[in-house]
This record gives sequence, structure tokens and C-alpha cells, in this order.
Amino acid sequence: MRAGRLAAVLLTVLGYLLLAPLGQVVLAALCWLWRGDPRRRAHRFHAITARAYRFMHWWLSKSRIIEFDWRRTAGQLPSGPCVVVANHPTLVDVTAISASLGGAISIVKPGVYHRVMIKPLLVGLGHVEGPGSDPIRAGKVVDDIVERLAWGIPVLIFPEGTRSPPGGLMPFGRVAFEAACRAEVPLVCLGVTCDPVYLSKQVPPLRPPHPMPKLQIDLIAVDNPSPAEPSKALRTRTEMRYQAWLSKVAEAPRGS
Amino acid sequence: MSDEQLVSRIKEIIVETLALEDVEPASIETDAPLFGEGLGLDSIDALELALAFHKEFGVRTQENDENNREYYSSVASLAKFITDKQAEATSSTS
Repeated sequence: MRAGRLAAVLLTVLGYLLLAPLGQVVLAALCWLWRGDPRRRAHRFHAITARAYRFMHWWLSKSRIIEFDWRRTAGQLPSGPCVVVANHPTLVDVTAISASLGGAISIVKPGVYHRVMIKPLLVGLGHVEGPGSDPIRAGKVVDDIVERLAWGIPVLIFPEGTRSPPGGLMPFGRVAFEAACRAEVPLVCLGVTCDPVYLSKQVPPLRPPHPMPKLQIDLIAVDNPSPAEPSKALRTRTEMRYQAWLSKVAEAPRGS
Repeated sequence: MSDEQLVSRIKEIIVETLALEDVEPASIETDAPLFGEGLGLDSIDALELALAFHKEFGVRTQENDENNREYYSSVASLAKFITDKQAEATSSTS
């Protein structure tokens, strides 16, 4: 079974390497064609990429690489602009959450954002360039997020800024919470689990575990921050929610 | 303003601006990291401090300056940053 899963992973990676450049060229062309209205362009692109991610997760489930049912999660989520935060145990959290939401804007590290081949696509999707190592850039990042929220598209932020340690959390940054408070939109807290662990920092793609990993996304809470609420308080409340949720997950029997 | 007075004033501004109710300015170590460890400040705190320093000392922190992380790493580095910027401003007007 494990050899079969590894073969499926290799086939998937090969397929991605062959098809991705073609997809990028097509999307870059569409980005240029639809350049007049960034907001409408972003909505159109997210409709395309959400379908692509849903297909991708269907393939990953069918090929028994990693199981994920986006429909189960989609039914729990509010519609409209919101800041979505989540823990980040695996590499496919972004695609899984985007598939469930029908599209979501993300924060992209500056080094990735400026890569020549993918920058047009990132710009077309309305993704926001992250602050990198310059703490002062956070202001621009928050402004950009608030602008995107006004477009009516959810913004997905991993407040840890990196992949989560197994069963744990890194300290939360404040950008997501500052943006939710300023834009006065709901803060949607999602809990991501992958059992057994796969595509984490510790378990890379070419070491698929057995049995087939199951990715699950749970709605932990929807917070509606009041306009006067300091973002620090919202962050602290959210961190406590995640700690409580992680404790429940750790106590739950495996496979539940 | 002497270097000591500048360092003290920076510590007061940090506590006042960020509303650190449980922290005495004098208890902030001059060379200790401000972000991550030490005081545990974050990027939004850095923004608020940049605004406060601009108001107090007339010193502007440029976005995308590759040295920002270093300037804001400790009270000592902030003091040096403010002193250098003020000296620059003085020499450019004279």
C-alpha cells in the first residue's frame, strides 16, 4: 500500500510539473486580458482556482494520497468577506481551505511573491505581499488586506507565519486580528488536522504514511470583533480558543 | 538630550504607546531583544512605535528599509537610529 501511495505521489508531482507551466501561461494571459478591473479579475480567478483545488483534492483522495472532503467543510463556513485564520500543519492547508471557501486571498512571502513566473498570477488573484523581515511593512500589509476584504473575498492568514509544530502552535502574529478589527469583518477560526501526519515539516511528500492520511477542517468559532476592540485582545482570545481545541483533539480517540 | 536620557525616554514611550500596564520603563533592558523574545513585541507594535518616535523625535522610519529589523531590535539600537537620523537632519539643514 505504501509503495502504491508513493507511486501515486510521484505521478502527481510529475503531472503537476508538466501541467503547471501551461496553467501559469494561460492564467497570465487572462490576467493581462482582464487587467481593467482588479476586483472583478480577482473574483474570476478565484472561481477558476477554487475549481482547480477541488479537482486536485478529489485526485488526492481518489489516488489515496490524502483524503479530504471540501464539501463537508464548505457547509460550515459563513459567506462573504471575512478574515480566516487557521493552524497550519500541512502543505495543502491553503488549497483545502480555498477549495472549501470557493476562493481566498492569501499573504505570500516576498521572496515567492516576486518570482517572475508566478507574480502575474498572484497579482491577478489579489494575493498580498507579506511583510518579510521588515516589521514596518506590516502597516502596508494590513492596508492591503482591508482593501481586499472590501472586494468581498475572504482573506486567509496563518497567524503563526509558518507551519505548525505537531499537535501544537507557534505564537500568533497580530496582522490577521488587526485587519479584522479595522475592516470590521468576522474572524473565522478553522482547526486543521491531518491524521496520520503528512506533508508537515517532519513528514515530507516522498514519505507518505500508512494508513491514508485524513485531512479535516473544523470550524472552531466565528468572532465578530467590535470596532473599539484592540487587536491584541482578539489575538489572545483566539489563541486560547486554539489551545482548548488542540486539547480536545489530543484527547479524542484516533479516527473520530 | 544625553544618551541616557534618550534611552530612558524611549523606554517610557514603549510602555506608554503600547499600554504595557505591568511593565516599568526602568525594567526594560537596554540591550535585550524587543521582538519575539524579551518584551515579545510584534510588527503592529513596531508600527505604533514608529509613529510615536516620529511624533516625539521627528524621526521617520522608512518602509522597505532593509535595516528596519536591526533598528528596532533593541532599545540601544533604537537610540542609535534616532541619534543618527537627528544628526543627518541637522547636517542637511546647516
